[in-house]
Amino acid sequence: MGITLSGISKKFDAFTALGNIDLEVRPGEFLALLGPSGSGKTTLLRIIAGLEFADSGTVAFDGQDVSHLPVADRQVGFVFQQYALFKHMTVADNVAFGLNVKKRRDRPSRQEIQARVAELLDLVQLGALGGRYPAQLSGGQRQRVALARALAVGPRILLLDEPFGALDAKVRKDLRRWLRELHDRMGLTSIFVTHDQEEALELADRVVVMDHGRIEQIAEPHDVYAQPASAFVYDFVGESNRLPVTIAGGAVRFGDRELQVGSDGLADGPATLFFRPHEAVIVPDGPALPAIVSLARPKHGVTRIEAQVDGLPHPLEIDVAGANPPKVGDSIAVAPTRSRLFPHPMAD
Amino acid sequence: MVQVNGGTVALGGQQIDRSIAPRAARRRRSVMPGFGLTFGFSLFYLCLIVLIPLSAVFVKTAGMGLDRFFDVAFSERVVASYRLSFGAAFVAAGVNAIFGLLIAWVLVRYDFPGKRVVSAMVDLPFALPTAVAGIALTALYADTGWVGQYIEPLGVKVAYTPLGVVVALIFIGLPFVVRSVEPVLDDLGADVEEAAAALGASRLKTFRRVILPAIAPALLTGFALAFARGIGEYGSVIFIAGNMPFQSEIAPLMIVTQLEQYDYQGATAIAAVMLIASFLLLLLINLIQIWSRRRMEG
Repeated sequence: MGITLSGISKKFDAFTALGNIDLEVRPGEFLALLGPSGSGKTTLLRIIAGLEFADSGTVAFDGQDVSHLPVADRQVGFVFQQYALFKHMTVADNVAFGLNVKKRRDRPSRQEIQARVAELLDLVQLGALGGRYPAQLSGGQRQRVALARALAVGPRILLLDEPFGALDAKVRKDLRRWLRELHDRMGLTSIFVTHDQEEALELADRVVVMDHGRIEQIAEPHDVYAQPASAFVYDFVGESNRLPVTIAGGAVRFGDRELQVGSDGLADGPATLFFRPHEAVIVPDGPALPAIVSLARPKHGVTRIEAQVDGLPHPLEIDVAGANPPKVGDSIAVAPTRSRLFPHPMAD
Repeated sequence: MVQVNGGTVALGGQQIDRSIAPRAARRRRSVMPGFGLTFGFSLFYLCLIVLIPLSAVFVKTAGMGLDRFFDVAFSERVVASYRLSFGAAFVAAGVNAIFGLLIAWVLVRYDFPGKRVVSAMVDLPFALPTAVAGIALTALYADTGWVGQYIEPLGVKVAYTPLGVVVALIFIGLPFVVRSVEPVLDDLGADVEEAAAALGASRLKTFRRVILPAIAPALLTGFALAFARGIGEYGSVIFIAGNMPFQSEIAPLMIVTQLEQYDYQGATAIAAVMLIASFLLLLLINLIQIWSRRRMEG
């Protein structure tokens, strides 16, 4: 089921949560809404669900306008951040809730409901725990109960608000893989909200990066990382170093030092230069940034170095391969091998 | 990394026999010291304040002999007063459970100007001297009062009737329900209601199947507190009740009547009956509560 959002805006008093959002979600897609807190990603998800209503703009499912339908009539499965399980009901009753509250003429028979619940509990690998109460389950198990409950009513769209936020790292990784498989198997269209870029890049078909109620970029995970559309995306997705530079006549300067990087066709004036820690080398001398090593520690098979540069508030982070990395106190020169320039210097 | 497995303490993978482990492993230590002292004092204090006066009621009663006990404590007039006290307290607590829940709901779920004032108003019955409340209510509901002059022609007589007793007890018991339910409702969170809605439940079904079961123990607590308070309430009721024998006399009034005749044993006899009845009712409510809470916490 495809979802089309056009011109969605939402204000909370004076605060603009969403400003004129257009988004096309393809049928069967697994989409991530990625952004820092306050970026509007959860509000957008809630508007798609019908838990919140936009001030203007439309939400359409498969071309059909659902903007004014309440959540109960939209046939979406929603998994809440804290799961929102019904504490006074057993796991099986939680899962059966959506079926039990149907109007009598639409409601399956008791046997059918029981069979459906058993099937769903098997699907989420909780077959034996139907008689327990939510308080007796671990975080990961609760999460899966919430999923089974959302899937019970046969939704066409699955919406997940920070689905892994409250879990510890190991459980999170397992659940992530499992959720991806589940999505593929059930043929759903899924959207999940996260502030964890790693999660978004690993799990999603496409990532929507949001900031301040606007969409900064919509792209496949690889492109979000390799071809960030804005300074914000570059900074938010992956690790980065940033340098305030000036462009003059096609040359890029940091202070009075010219750097060997292309000006990306930007006009003269102030700009910000970004490069990833692994996209820089230490050179003996030449057009590079002089720095003093303040920290060196092993990381993922390389050595992560922090180096202080005069006039920069933060140290540069550089990954150095090889057996003889520089030591703390060494004077080095750093040259970016691959970098991006963005015109507006970012506020710190 | 310290792991305690059975009798051994593992420190960073090294096994240390318990005999040489620090003393802490042998003697259970609490981070909150002084349990013995504080618990001892609590027990002593409760005995002094609660248990001794209550047992005095029974000791005093025991001296009067069974025949006289039944004569006094179960005379027709006194039984009628029990009926009124327990009945009116029950009805008032029931009314408070419904409307107290509504007020708690409004206070928890919505933000509106003057919310603090409304919240403070809920506590007024706690703060107001009960006699003042009683006189105010009587003045309101008397046949010339602000409210009384309009409802009396309709055939509803509040002042000096059992209905007046109920009205006074509703006033007195309201804060108990509101303050018991409020934190639980707050804790329930809006997301649970949203989850029910997302699963297709109507507002009514959400309330009946999700909200009510979750707050039932707290609502019952509030009901029990309001009920218990209502049974013993004297000051606010005595003015509005009119105190007609067999009709609008409350049980605490019967105790006072006995006291005025210097019949202390008679007074304690009635008190003992009320005490046992209240105790049994509260026990019942507590049992229901334990049962419903166990279902939720497993």
